[in-house]
Amino acid sequence: MEIKIDVPVEPPKELETLFLPIPKDYVEDVYKKDDFLILVGPQHPGSGHMRLIVRVKGDIIQEVIPDPGYVHRSMEKLAENRLYIQNIPLVERPAIMDSANFNLGYVRAIETALDIEVPERAKFIRTILAELCRIGTHLYDAAILAVFLGHTTGFMYPFGIRELICEALARMTGARFTSSFIIPGGVRRDVDERTLRWVYDATFAIERRLKSFERIFIKNPTVIARLREVGVLSKDEAILYGVVGPFLRASGVEYDTRIVEPYEAYEEVTWDIVTADEGDGYARFLVRVNEVSQSLGIIRQCITSMPEGRYVSEQICDDVKGNFFDAYGNLVLPAGEYTTLTEAARGTLLFTIVSDGESNVPYRVRIVTPGWLYLRGFMESLKGERLADLQAIYGSFGYFPPEADR
Amino acid sequence: MKVEKISRSPIAELKRHVDVIQEAFKQALIPDRITIEYPRERRKYPDNLRGFIVLDKSKCISCFRCAQICPANAIQMGFYDNFYPSVDYTKCIFCHFCVESCPTGALSGSNLHDMAFKSLEDMKVKTTQMMRLPTIIREDKQTVEYFVTKREWRLVRRKELEDLSVLRIIPKIKPKRAFCEEPESCLGCRQCMEVCPHDAIVMERCEVTLEGEVVGKGCILKVTEKCVGCGLCVRQCPMKILTLKEVE
Amino acid sequence: MINEIIATLIEIFSSNSMQIPLIQPLVDYLMEIPLLNILVALILWRPFFAVVIMPGLIVLMLYLLYIVWFERKLTARIQWRVGPLEVARPIRGAIQALADGLRYFFQEAIVHRDAHRPYFVQLPILAFIPILLPIAFIPAGNAVGIKTPYAIQLIVAFLALIPITIIAIGWASNNRFAFVGSVREALMYVAYEIPFIIAVISMIYLYGSGDPYVAVEKQSLLPGAILNPIAFLVFLITMLMATSRLPFEIPEADQEIAFGPFVEYSGMLFGLVMVLAYEKLYIMALLFVILFLGGWNGIYCDLLGDLNAPLWLFIKTIVVISILAIVRSMYARYRIDQTLRYSFSWLIAFSIVALVVGVVAGWIV
Repeated sequence: MEIKIDVPVEPPKELETLFLPIPKDYVEDVYKKDDFLILVGPQHPGSGHMRLIVRVKGDIIQEVIPDPGYVHRSMEKLAENRLYIQNIPLVERPAIMDSANFNLGYVRAIETALDIEVPERAKFIRTILAELCRIGTHLYDAAILAVFLGHTTGFMYPFGIRELICEALARMTGARFTSSFIIPGGVRRDVDERTLRWVYDATFAIERRLKSFERIFIKNPTVIARLREVGVLSKDEAILYGVVGPFLRASGVEYDTRIVEPYEAYEEVTWDIVTADEGDGYARFLVRVNEVSQSLGIIRQCITSMPEGRYVSEQICDDVKGNFFDAYGNLVLPAGEYTTLTEAARGTLLFTIVSDGESNVPYRVRIVTPGWLYLRGFMESLKGERLADLQAIYGSFGYFPPEADR
Repeated sequence: MKVEKISRSPIAELKRHVDVIQEAFKQALIPDRITIEYPRERRKYPDNLRGFIVLDKSKCISCFRCAQICPANAIQMGFYDNFYPSVDYTKCIFCHFCVESCPTGALSGSNLHDMAFKSLEDMKVKTTQMMRLPTIIREDKQTVEYFVTKREWRLVRRKELEDLSVLRIIPKIKPKRAFCEEPESCLGCRQCMEVCPHDAIVMERCEVTLEGEVVGKGCILKVTEKCVGCGLCVRQCPMKILTLKEVE
Repeated sequence: MINEIIATLIEIFSSNSMQIPLIQPLVDYLMEIPLLNILVALILWRPFFAVVIMPGLIVLMLYLLYIVWFERKLTARIQWRVGPLEVARPIRGAIQALADGLRYFFQEAIVHRDAHRPYFVQLPILAFIPILLPIAFIPAGNAVGIKTPYAIQLIVAFLALIPITIIAIGWASNNRFAFVGSVREALMYVAYEIPFIIAVISMIYLYGSGDPYVAVEKQSLLPGAILNPIAFLVFLITMLMATSRLPFEIPEADQEIAFGPFVEYSGMLFGLVMVLAYEKLYIMALLFVILFLGGWNGIYCDLLGDLNAPLWLFIKTIVVISILAIVRSMYARYRIDQTLRYSFSWLIAFSIVALVVGVVAGWIV
């Protein structure tokens, strides 16, 4: 039973002096209806780099208004002033753990424009790099979820396991994660047999350490109690709000870009698509955990069945070392618009290059990252939950502001 | 495939509590530590790690390719007796595009990645400083390496120090020379002759022939032995008739 | 005139002095020296020894130094890393807490403009009164500050005053996150206080009185943990709830409400509020050892005499707290409504069962 007492309230003075991206009458309306505005801002231990304006009534969240753009770096505009080959280190840096997938999307757009055929060995090496980066991103997201729930051990374990993945990437390419290793026509260097043997053994070592992580975090009763039936998105809601990636698959929809429009070597290895039915926070987390096991299987199959051959297409050059500038310095794409879809770790990634046919810099590069696509679904799933669940749902979605803001 | 169903019965919850306590106590007694106590011990990185860039001045042909390909505009060419590159480490992102573009292999990478500079001005490394590795002050007493087998991953410590001054092996790249593909299309604008830094293109008088008959006199530009294959004339020619070809 | 006062003082102190055969020759020698003898008599006077030295203020400082270092090292060991190491490298970083305290001295304690200045500055100091007063009542063998037969009830009453000061600290900060933290602290107070009091009452029924001497004497055969295991479990869980330790770190949730009621504190004031929870844990652990683990019963060593009992009490408390430190690395944080639901359904049920067991066992024993 609610008792109404008519007490005249005014919004607190600090909300008048702060700059808020919401209209003033909204603030007054909130306070007249006896709600409370909490600003979970960019400098907050639990918000990433994004401002969230949360409207609570008691302990129940009524509405959340996001304010992205704190880490906007204007990558699309910067890409218009650089050569096509110089854009590769630029576009792989929105989400630096996931750099191989971003790299792959951009380079495939150039290859579609120039009609370049990629040799088989290069395709397998690219697949191994993409899957290693996918595992790295899922481990990073699991660690951030752990720290939002207050479980510091669950934060240290995935970052320790990620160290092995960075070592694998360093052995293959030379840099720890943003490697700029994928170029139009293939990869930059060949990978020898000893390194592949090491990566094969490392996948088993990763699985053993993941079992410790599973016992102490994934099957922890407090974690299950915190994430179960929290932030539920049903199947229709997920499709309506445009959610992508493993968060869509956790609501029961079987959609994966690697199956719908296969690229690289994904048709030649056998793997399963992982879905769940409930659509709550724990299902989203478990889908990503199982995807890590699937990725480890893909890497093992790629290593055992790696074909011999060239590592860069003969349409470009014989050997990259020494000929890098002559082969790529003056790339000119024919006029038109070229689009590719890639499955990054957090969802579908779209790259579009518009070229005017004459210049050696692109006319327009358009990047649509998965974080930007599922932001709406994330905000809708917060309605009606408790204030403490804001961090749990944030962690279960794995929202990464630098990737969404580019 | 579907993710597994998690049962919430009290027996299953109790078993999970016991698992958690067991794992924590096991880690407290026999830890799986992977901490490296830098700088008392140094980690042995793989050989192809991208690090400090080293220049071999005798092989550099001043072709400007490294400066033009750098995505971060970190290479400036300074003039000594000819143009040589110098790297600005406030901007360098260690992508090693310059190392791959160098046609003679003058630029090469090393394994050093933890350099320290005393001021911002020191970070613009000049050509003379790039020709050798920086001074190495060793504080470490042992070397650590990751040891990975199918069963485990642990650290292996050895007492000897790692030799940091080994440079990479530079692969053999064949030298190239400029070559005019269609001398008939030459305009005689002499831009290639003016831009060449080694004065390797000379003008020669010749006779113009048409179906075997001499119809007039003209001049063509010929590439001499002084050409080192820098490619500046290739980029300058307005008719685009010059290329680089390998010479035995 | 002064000589008479000193002589009466020495007589009062020596009549109630600790008997430690190990250092008795030294004490006898020092009692001959005119000015030193009053100091030595004061130190060995039983109430002074119990309140200031052991289990009192000096041991409390040593315990704080130890527990901050030990908790960080143990958590680091489980998390595949090393923990604080550099401060005093030969002893593996043991005086890290001292370095932290020194740093807090040099930092500026900012009082922001909107805060209620008298409460903001004075409350962290006032909060120490209900925390440190129980030390006067906790006995350790023959050494006790104030001897009363109602010591256990008094300790529980003092512990009930502490959350009020924490709520007032949050209110004085005038910050929306501190407000949310204060409300959560009030809700947690309601959640744990009732099962805690019922568990203590069940043990009082078991032993027959609220006197710690009676409680420890009755545990000479079996410790209280075996006599009433359900009360043992309930006390353990409410001890975690009362001192804001994981998995119930709800008022001071670092990621959700940016450290709750203590968000605006910096400098030495922050050092003071940080040790509030640890000292409350010390007092509750002393109560725990007296009620459930046999207090100061242990192997009697003739050489130490009266020092036996405080030493055993201290060792048992340190062991209990060191085992509690591992819980921090194992669990995530519960939500406030889940805690309230479990507390009002399961914990109260268990505590009432413990009360029944306590009454029955007290009637038998």
